[in-house]
Amino acid sequence: MLNVSHLTKKYHRFVANDNLSFIVNDGETAVLAGPNGAGKSTAIKCIAGLLRFDGEIEICGFNNKSIDAKKILGYVPEIPAPFELLTVWEHMEFIARAYRLEDWEKRAEELMSRLELTDKRDKLGKELSKGMQQKISICCAMLIEPKVVLFDEPLVGLDPHAIKELKAMLGEMKKNGTTIIISTHMLESVEDIWDKVFIMMNGKIEAERTRRFVEESGENLEELFFNITEKKQTGADAQ
Amino acid sequence: MNSILYLLRKTVKNEILDTLRHPLKFILYAFVAVSMIYGAVRGYTAGDDLGNSEIFSDPRLLSGAYLAVLFFISIPIMLKGLSSGTSFFSLSDVNNLFVAPVSPKKILVYGIGRQLASMLVLVVTFAAYGGMIIKMFRVTVSQAAVLIIGIALMLILVQLVTLMIFCLASTHPIRAKVMKYFIYGMAFFALGTVIIYSFTKGISVESIFSAISLPMLEYIPFVGWMHGFVFGIMESDLTRIIVFGVLTFLSGISGIILLKVTRLDFYEDVLSQAESYQEFREAVREGKFSDKVMFGNKEIKLRKKGINKGRGASSIFYKHLLEGGRRSRFMFFNINTFVLIFVALVIGFGIKQAKSDIEPTIIYLSAMIILAYVQFFFSASGDWVKELTKPYIYLIPDGAVKKLVMAAATGIIKPFTDGIITFVILAFVAGGQPVDVITAALTYGSFGTLYIAANVLAQRLVGIDSTGGIFITFYMSMIVLTLLPGVVIGLVVLSTMSGSYGFIAATLLGAPLFIWNMIVSAGIFIACRNLLNNTE
Repeated sequence: MLNVSHLTKKYHRFVANDNLSFIVNDGETAVLAGPNGAGKSTAIKCIAGLLRFDGEIEICGFNNKSIDAKKILGYVPEIPAPFELLTVWEHMEFIARAYRLEDWEKRAEELMSRLELTDKRDKLGKELSKGMQQKISICCAMLIEPKVVLFDEPLVGLDPHAIKELKAMLGEMKKNGTTIIISTHMLESVEDIWDKVFIMMNGKIEAERTRRFVEESGENLEELFFNITEKKQTGADAQ
Repeated sequence: MNSILYLLRKTVKNEILDTLRHPLKFILYAFVAVSMIYGAVRGYTAGDDLGNSEIFSDPRLLSGAYLAVLFFISIPIMLKGLSSGTSFFSLSDVNNLFVAPVSPKKILVYGIGRQLASMLVLVVTFAAYGGMIIKMFRVTVSQAAVLIIGIALMLILVQLVTLMIFCLASTHPIRAKVMKYFIYGMAFFALGTVIIYSFTKGISVESIFSAISLPMLEYIPFVGWMHGFVFGIMESDLTRIIVFGVLTFLSGISGIILLKVTRLDFYEDVLSQAESYQEFREAVREGKFSDKVMFGNKEIKLRKKGINKGRGASSIFYKHLLEGGRRSRFMFFNINTFVLIFVALVIGFGIKQAKSDIEPTIIYLSAMIILAYVQFFFSASGDWVKELTKPYIYLIPDGAVKKLVMAAATGIIKPFTDGIITFVILAFVAGGQPVDVITAALTYGSFGTLYIAANVLAQRLVGIDSTGGIFITFYMSMIVLTLLPGVVIGLVVLSTMSGSYGFIAATLLGAPLFIWNMIVSAGIFIACRNLLNNTE
């Protein structure tokens, strides 16, 4: 479970995240949606423990910067950052060693096979395309079998097969009770996997919807998204 | 041409306005300028100690050193020109200028001209040492000016020669290969001549000095010609002025003529180079030195596969060992080690030559201080700095101090191995007490740890994502602040005990410094463990 309470992140006078509070339960998939600059990636990085912030973030009851939280947290960054001089397989080995994983080899093979990295096993990080590097990031995050996993624009740069496979993996993780948070500005890319959506604009959560609410009310999510984001944008322009 | 002039005009104007709008940047530039002027004046007024040394007053040393400087600035530029002439252009030039209806020749001239402007910084840097050169080598002010103007001329000549090389070789792989061998040949000829001559005459300072000032070295194209021209003026040798002046002028003019008559199509060559150059610039600006940026697409053989050791934080250290082994077969023994050994030997031979009955401990003391200074320039980008640019170190579930130490471990070990190798080799030249050798090596090594600790402290104070100039200023301040108490303690110990133990002065100063450096570094690592709490 992920519990974000009064998260505020400022860069000098600019408020990137303004008092965000939300909960994502076990087995739920939440989407942070919003246009460029809405504060989605900043929120994801705060949750991953990469940025300083005001407020509290708990991962399965642990403070997000604690070692206990790090053990169960997976993070797929927006821009993949593999180690240039490690092979694909050595990335798996490094994560397994750093997280003190046992019997990880079979799972690593399986992840690599699903994301079509098996034949790239001995390729160095610097020799891979951006898409391949993104696949390594995903494998690294999945290898630890996280209880909470954060994806920052995960589908950008992936080929259709990898997108299909990643969506299948997300479904499996959800069944196993993993909490999933995905940041994206392309709602259609996650329309069949979300349970909760938080629409962000100017660092704030402007709307929160559950799948059940949307299905029962017949509300058009895309329309809601544009109503919020374009109205705000026009207002900002007018000012 | 109008568009290029417009681009140049606007670039210069906006650069000036940008500097004025950022007071800190302006202050930094002003500080650097004032430091250089001060350095030049101070070098002139306070260089007496160096000037008194017989070794520096030998004109052959100046001749050899000047030739080495000319080689140092010319060969890399010529090789770069051969591989496509191309660090001249940025990606924005490629994307905007190359597709515009402007003649490729004009664009090439623009690129080279801009490169030349950036090279002026190098000339200004040399000029800052003008005062020191005058005192050290006992030359007149006008001779020092000739030397510096010679370097400026060499920079212009090398750009024109590069142009010539590029025109001749850009579309002919065989010609490019021949020219590459030719450029390497120039360097090897000079090096080979000096080594063979020194060995045949018996290794001594005298034979080395004779070797580096051999007249035949002036027949090496471009570099030797410029040397001959400059020293011809300095020594009022009319024949050399005319011969080497004409050769230099002709080689420069050939570049311009070839540009005029050759059909150039260099855009494709430039494209990939410009992309990687852009990546490099961004990395330097952000202080990120990735292997892809530093080594490009150079093929790396996987001799050893797998990390094979480590759990938790220690896996970072073993990963660094694996990566280091892939960068270079001898991870802890690289070009830096050779440079250190070379500098140490120059110090050893130099001091012995100046005063043959000097106590060996003075040699170790001098080498320890000078090499610790040299090491500062090697310590800019260790493995741990690269690690901070990726998310994994922050995410790994282990103690922050442990992660920080493990990430810095290879950077800590390297100076110690360098120190041991260098000072043991120096011991063969200097002799003296074994305790001095060990202490000097350990003290030198401890400077590596202190530089990393000061870097950690600076990162903690100003933030990992701070801009280069501010960071460097803080980093250097932190070095001075953390080092100062150790130096004071060392000097107190040296002054109180040198009466009885003067024969191990290097140990008296070095041992307290070593202990202080290690303690203060450990303290900084513990105090700054929160560095890994976030990426900011």
